[in-house]
Amino acid sequence: MPALRAEKITKSFRGLFKDKKVLFDISLSIEEGEIFGILGPNGAGKTTLMSIFSTLIRPDGGSLEVLGRDALRDTHAIRERINISSGNPNFPWSLTVRENLRHSAMLYGMYGRSLSKSVDEAISAFELGSQSDAKFETLSTGQKQRVSLAKSILNRPKILFLDEPTSGLDPEMAMKTRDLIKRIYQEEEITVVLTTHYMPEAEELCDRIAFLREGRLVALGTPAELKRALQIGHRIFVNYDGEIDPLKLRIIPGVMEVRELPGRVEMVFDHSGRAVSSIIKAFEGADILDIGIEEPDLEDVFLELAR
Amino acid sequence: MSWRGELNKVYSATYKNWIISKRNAFTLFELVFWPFIGLISIGLLTRFLEVGDDMVAFVLVGAIALSILQISQIDVAYILLFDLWSKSIKQTFVAPIRGYHLVLGAMLFGVIRGVAVFLVLAAASRHLFGFDFLAGGVVTVIVFLAGTFITAASIGMVVCISILLFGQRADVAAWTLSGIMMLVSGVYYPVSILPGPLQILSKSIPLTYLLEYYRSAYGYGDHQILLGIAIALLYFAASLLILNLAIERARRTGMMLRLSE
Repeated sequence: MPALRAEKITKSFRGLFKDKKVLFDISLSIEEGEIFGILGPNGAGKTTLMSIFSTLIRPDGGSLEVLGRDALRDTHAIRERINISSGNPNFPWSLTVRENLRHSAMLYGMYGRSLSKSVDEAISAFELGSQSDAKFETLSTGQKQRVSLAKSILNRPKILFLDEPTSGLDPEMAMKTRDLIKRIYQEEEITVVLTTHYMPEAEELCDRIAFLREGRLVALGTPAELKRALQIGHRIFVNYDGEIDPLKLRIIPGVMEVRELPGRVEMVFDHSGRAVSSIIKAFEGADILDIGIEEPDLEDVFLELAR
Repeated sequence: MSWRGELNKVYSATYKNWIISKRNAFTLFELVFWPFIGLISIGLLTRFLEVGDDMVAFVLVGAIALSILQISQIDVAYILLFDLWSKSIKQTFVAPIRGYHLVLGAMLFGVIRGVAVFLVLAAASRHLFGFDFLAGGVVTVIVFLAGTFITAASIGMVVCISILLFGQRADVAAWTLSGIMMLVSGVYYPVSILPGPLQILSKSIPLTYLLEYYRSAYGYGDHQILLGIAIALLYFAASLLILNLAIERARRTGMMLRLSE
């Protein structure tokens, strides 16, 4: 049974003069126990889709099943078993970290010792001990993010929705947050659905990725599948000394793109193998100082799909 | 879900309102300063106008009722207002919570604050203006307060409904609705002096009946308290139903997301 199954989800928001359609017939299925990424440029509809999946808002059309239940009817039962953490999170400002977590736990119907234990564990898991009595408004962005993540595991959710979990964090804190997400995923054996702008993050965390553009699902698969399907070429760069004829590079079979810089050429080519020897031959008469080949990454997929 | 879990969902709103209120120095203004200023002003006005004790009782009952109503309704409105101001509405509504959990929890805190305000104002009015707030007996006070709290909860819910329908700018309703009540339900004057259409409107407002009931203990005519309580309960049930519908509508229109941004 998939953890989440969406069929032809559509959503519009009312505008001043006409409605703006933000999601068009999104259909996808998320398996139990996977980390599923939703990627796309700004305005692609990621947060809207995430909000629909987490039952915060309702779609206009289509069907949605979460944990085997109809998400348009059994919302209450679903909310008991999911949770969400958003980038740039907000909680009541004047409540301390511990009070905010206690309040959130109460909203999930927790009580007594199990409530206190869950709050203590969440504070400990996200290293918030020294800030537990600090008011939310006094926390740094990273600390607020950790409070949000701590809140999201209080009810031991079966699906955890993370909307841009490292948004606004410095690289070190973003790395720590990714490690925390991996740890929750491994320890709690849950399904994670996350949105991100940051491609290395998606590549590092996600088993499969859905790519949205202007409210439409334009690609779905593992990072490797997406790269293969899009036939994104490898990159090669050559630093050299001397004179070369760039035209010789452009006519090599398999070379898709050539960029000339002083003393350096960068090319994109399909990975046929023969192109590399032909490229090296084209540098006859010049000294090759350095040469490197890079595999395409998700950033390339993103750029290709966002075009 | 166990009954203790359900109770804690209700208590979540009480807990949040209590913590936020105790951290906010301006809560004292809300709880003591403004009600006290209102009471003293009205009391001194009666001195200046040299009205009799019965008239003093008439207007002080109104002043006390209005203060309790304002305090208790804002506590219910706070279930959205605090989240709205801290942009954390999303955190509440992704949780498995229903409208009645929030309303009952906030109402509990509103009742506690309302009773505190009543006791302070009643003691002050007795000491300063010789007004005996227990002239009608303890039962009269309890019925009057209970009706006022139910009415206040309905007003608080209307504020929440307005925000969910019209967005953040509708938060002004929190301070406007009790003002309208003051105008038409005879807080400082008998509703009989209102123009005809407003008199009809006043009959649809429970506070009118509650004031008549409490004042009847001071010799001001008859009352229809049962009708007043029935209307108050009807409004309460209707407001709760509409609040739930407004929450669902906000989920459909995306207002729930916009209120969190």
